[in-house]
Amino acid sequence: MATLSDLKISEVKLGEEHTGKWGMVIDQDICTGCQACVAACAMENNLSFVGEEDSGYGRSMHWIRIERFWEGEYPEVKMTPNQPMMCQQCGSATCEPVCPAFATVHSQAEQLNLQVYNRCVGTRYCANNCPYQVRSFNWRDYERPEPLPNQLNPDVTVRRRGVMEKCTFCIQRIHKAQDKAKSEGREVVDGEFTTACAQACPANAITFGRVDDPESMVSQLAKRSHGVKHLEELGTLPNVTYFKGG
Amino acid sequence: MIKSIFDWLKQPLGLIAVGITVLTLFSVAAYGIYTTQQAPEQPIQFPHQTHVAFGIQCLYCHPGASKGPAAGLPSQAKCWACHNQIAKTETSALLAPLKEAVLSGTPIQWVPVAQVPDFVQFNHRAHIAAGKNCEDCHGDMSKVTIAQNPQVFNMGWCLNCHVESAGEDHEKLVKLSDCGTCHY
Repeated sequence: MATLSDLKISEVKLGEEHTGKWGMVIDQDICTGCQACVAACAMENNLSFVGEEDSGYGRSMHWIRIERFWEGEYPEVKMTPNQPMMCQQCGSATCEPVCPAFATVHSQAEQLNLQVYNRCVGTRYCANNCPYQVRSFNWRDYERPEPLPNQLNPDVTVRRRGVMEKCTFCIQRIHKAQDKAKSEGREVVDGEFTTACAQACPANAITFGRVDDPESMVSQLAKRSHGVKHLEELGTLPNVTYFKGG
Repeated sequence: MIKSIFDWLKQPLGLIAVGITVLTLFSVAAYGIYTTQQAPEQPIQFPHQTHVAFGIQCLYCHPGASKGPAAGLPSQAKCWACHNQIAKTETSALLAPLKEAVLSGTPIQWVPVAQVPDFVQFNHRAHIAAGKNCEDCHGDMSKVTIAQNPQVFNMGWCLNCHVESAGEDHEKLVKLSDCGTCHY
């Protein structure tokens, strides 16, 4: 019978072959937990307002959330640094192989995990299989009272009831930057654009960019020795690096 | 009870009643399908063929196509730039809604004809830059009054062209056949 340590060896080999394209670095030491990224993400990506009742059933919808943990025994309880958690855009994603409708597929061009809304039939298998628990499901068509529909982002699909959704690394911004660069006959420059969460962060705790470009800001930061990729031992090959206690 | 209804239906009058019902249902369905294939009602019966015949470029009225995602529908100010110099504008019944829109300052509510669903992110600029011409997708405008779609804009039709234009270039094929290129 294979043990966990055997598994790890095979996955490390898998990891060596993997090079992502877009990646993120999050410095938990300077994150204040202000939730600006959560709000910015919801506005950028047309997230629904779930409301009190459905939130009580655990149906709240966020593509990014700030996780808090506690250390120690009462009364000496200490809070660990805030941990922004979003889709890790795994190189070997556990959500992808379980989808019966091929609605969550790996983008070969951008090396991201895609969620194709028009293919999704709402089995919620992917969300159950995600070790990071970052997928959210549209349990209802939540109401957007006037004038809220006016702030919808036209570059992002407004999802219907019965569809799974998750962080896309703001793929609409990636496409916009690529389109602009192409129209000007050049390549996309590092730092030219960023995701909504990174843009909104007042502490600059989130950095976004190309991980396959050694000169980019995100690659330079990821070289620091205390970087951690969450649940890496599962072999998911995440593209988000966290710093804590540096 | 049910048996007596069947017995009544089997006699000549019953058969005629069944025939009429079936015919009615069929014609209603046929009419319903026919109406979905008709061009929508526009505020002005805009004659594309006349404007094309005058040599006006597509991009003059739909300039967004070369710059960004949406080609755009012209406002009455754009129409008026030419039409206020044309004597016929004052007398033509066809142009009365335009005159009224300009005088009252209310926009003309054009009905878009070529549309894709919300979950498709289409960008005109990329297609123009790739050397596509307007008529490749929208048909020959020198032959129609109100714009009509020469084909259904479905994914198979999009992908056919994407795969064809990629040719032997593998990197281009990966990009053009990626779900995330159009759906996000």
